[in-house]
Amino acid sequence: MASIAPSALATLNRVRCQIFQTAYNPTSTRTGAKYLRKRLRGPSMMKYYPPYQQLSLAKLMKDYPEWDIVDEEEQIRLRDVEDRKKRGKGAPTKAKNKEESRRTQRRR
Amino acid sequence: MLFVNARVLRDIKARKGVLDNELLRRAYLYVARDQRQPPQIRHQAQLQLNTFGRYTRPTTVKNRCVETGRGRGIMSEFGLCRTVFRLKARNHELPGVHKASW
Repeated sequence: MASIAPSALATLNRVRCQIFQTAYNPTSTRTGAKYLRKRLRGPSMMKYYPPYQQLSLAKLMKDYPEWDIVDEEEQIRLRDVEDRKKRGKGAPTKAKNKEESRRTQRRR
Repeated sequence: MLFVNARVLRDIKARKGVLDNELLRRAYLYVARDQRQPPQIRHQAQLQLNTFGRYTRPTTVKNRCVETGRGRGIMSEFGLCRTVFRLKARNHELPGVHKASW
């Protein structure tokens, strides 16, 4: 059986690449071509979930002020805050200068 | 109807991030992985890749159940978790799917 010289095989490979217009890369260096060749995955990723619209009471109230929507939970919260303020349990006032803020820290 | 919780929202955010940044990331990846480029340039490209946010990488995207938001036991072809898949299959809501019996 006649053996083929490696140099001849290399030449064959090069000529084959020329003919079929493929990349000739005898040393197998990484060219990063696969990152360009791969399809982009973003568009199909966006299709996974069905489209949805985020509904919120606050947004409805803002978009349609003529509907007179009342957020009951928010009203209850505001009423409670008022009650607490009346009993002197409201949030402390903001410190005007350094000394005041230091005093509040010590008290804790 | 899509079930929405914080984790589903996060996943949607990640998907959008991937879509918006994919092209640029690919370009930097190409330069960073190309052995014919000088090492300085490859390093610069790698540093640029590191500046992208967490939710721009495709690996942060996770298929979640469309109906319950569950992250485990998902059948990707249907986008459902195993429980919802079973219930729907039993109710003949998934075309071509029926319980095996032989």
